[in-house]
Amino acid sequence: MERAVIVERLTKEFEVRERRPGLSGALTSIFSSKTKMVKALKGVSFSLDEGEMIGFIGPNGAGKTTTLKILSGVLHPTQGFVQVAGYTPWERRHDYLRQISLVMGQKNQLWWDLPASETFELNRAIYEIPEKVYKRSLDELIEVLKVEKYLNTPVRRLSLGQRMRLELIAALLHKPKVIFLDEPTIGLDVVAQQKVRDFIRQYNKKNKATVILTSHNMDDVADLAKRVVVIDKGGIVFDGALSDLVGRFAKKKIIKICVEGSVDYKKLERIGTIEEAKMPLVTLSVPRGAAKMAAAELLQSFPIEDLTIEEEPLESVIRQVFGGKG
Amino acid sequence: MRKKYFSVCRISFIQELAYRSKFVVERLQSVLQVFLIFFLWDSVFSDPSREVFGYDRAKILTYVFGLLIVKAIVASTKASDVSGIISSGELTNYLLKPIGFVKYWFFRDISARGIHTAFAVVEAAILFVILKPPFFLQTNLMSVVGFLVLLVMAMIIFFLMLTLVSFIPFWLVEQTWPPIFLFLSISEVLSGAVFPLDVFPEAIQKVLYLSPFPYLIFIPIQVYLGKVVGMELIRSLLTAGFWMVGLMIAVSWVWQRGLVHYRAEGR
Repeated sequence: MERAVIVERLTKEFEVRERRPGLSGALTSIFSSKTKMVKALKGVSFSLDEGEMIGFIGPNGAGKTTTLKILSGVLHPTQGFVQVAGYTPWERRHDYLRQISLVMGQKNQLWWDLPASETFELNRAIYEIPEKVYKRSLDELIEVLKVEKYLNTPVRRLSLGQRMRLELIAALLHKPKVIFLDEPTIGLDVVAQQKVRDFIRQYNKKNKATVILTSHNMDDVADLAKRVVVIDKGGIVFDGALSDLVGRFAKKKIIKICVEGSVDYKKLERIGTIEEAKMPLVTLSVPRGAAKMAAAELLQSFPIEDLTIEEEPLESVIRQVFGGKG
Repeated sequence: MRKKYFSVCRISFIQELAYRSKFVVERLQSVLQVFLIFFLWDSVFSDPSREVFGYDRAKILTYVFGLLIVKAIVASTKASDVSGIISSGELTNYLLKPIGFVKYWFFRDISARGIHTAFAVVEAAILFVILKPPFFLQTNLMSVVGFLVLLVMAMIIFFLMLTLVSFIPFWLVEQTWPPIFLFLSISEVLSGAVFPLDVFPEAIQKVLYLSPFPYLIFIPIQVYLGKVVGMELIRSLLTAGFWMVGLMIAVSWVWQRGLVHYRAEGR
């Protein structure tokens, strides 16, 4: 199978001008400014098969967005080899740009003062989408994202959730084969998040599109990606199945119990840490290896109606990967 | 391919009309300017037999009216937004699309010029009726053709110069409006939008004619007025052509280097 994305030893350095704080700092920086090189990416390597969807995660400033911008041809790298769909992204060949899309949750391409339908029409012309294909793919997107009502309203009058769904349409009208999604659900409410996620999953399946997804919302990642690539301080620290990540870094398991009557918290604390107690529900965390024993003990010594053992939430696993940051 | 840029024109046109009040203010400003210059020169030439710098009353007033229209064609622009787009990181949006950035803005410019010119013609007609100036109608075909060709070149030269200035934020992110403002002020004076350039001393004029500025407004109007003809017309066309090609090369050279420098900040 053809590899859709190949990234090898990718580095990117930025020149940063240093400014001392305060008024005197501002004044002196007019005459002399020190610059220093900051390494945003320090030899990043990974690859994706065609049709694969991965979560690309890491704390703020880890280099996620920089990587996506290089992959989509916006930034030139300092060093390294990148090939996406057989092209070198930063050459920005039109044939390449017609096959990709970068969707950023914090950015909009829709014309602010005009209805979204105008932007769609412009994109149809820019991407040279044949009329028939355009109509079909627009109708389909409108249907799935349920935005029919908002098409002819000036964009500035729409809510963020409505706008984001229209942004997705603008970004996907040309049926890209490779999609870079940067925080696609940022600022959306839970219902809208779910809509966007469902849509991304469908799109990936139906069009065999290759998808790289970055998100701080671990629901996005857990819901969409089987494989994750974790980046920190400009380097890859994990690349593998999501379940392996949890197995490797999760040190705890979560036991949720529903008790009958009252329980002695002190006795409970001997078994595990109480994370939350909203009677009759109590959530405990216990060391991973001791989960079975703890469950058995709980059932034996406490008046328990129901008990479940769960994995730690992905957020807290990720927090452990980054040593407390996140 | 051509359809692509036609669509850019179309949406830009609609957008321009979405900002009606801004547009009206811009037109008002331009009309008032002409009014001011008109009355200034009208009083200088209150004696109809007087001739100054080779201008009589009819020619100077034609110059002023020509200004209104030629300025609308040459100096109406959207490309002044480019520097802000680069500095804010909005450029990222454009880089992702299979479209030439400079071409895109050129076509947005054309639509801005179209609207402004249409309005300028109507305004000039109204002012003409109100002010009843004597008007010099050029009948020499060479002069009219030369004028039209220079007008197209002037449009392109102005666009390219402005684009070049707008690329500064690739290197100095915070330098968006100041350089553009400086450029617009300088070009206003040196292009002849305030007064005809032949009021300058001979020596300064000679140097000025080597720069691209006079070919924006002054020379085209001079050609229309029949003051630049024959060899001089050909020399003007060649100089303007030289600047046009030179600026095209410069813009594409700087653009390529700018992209390597581009940091896509804030987006």
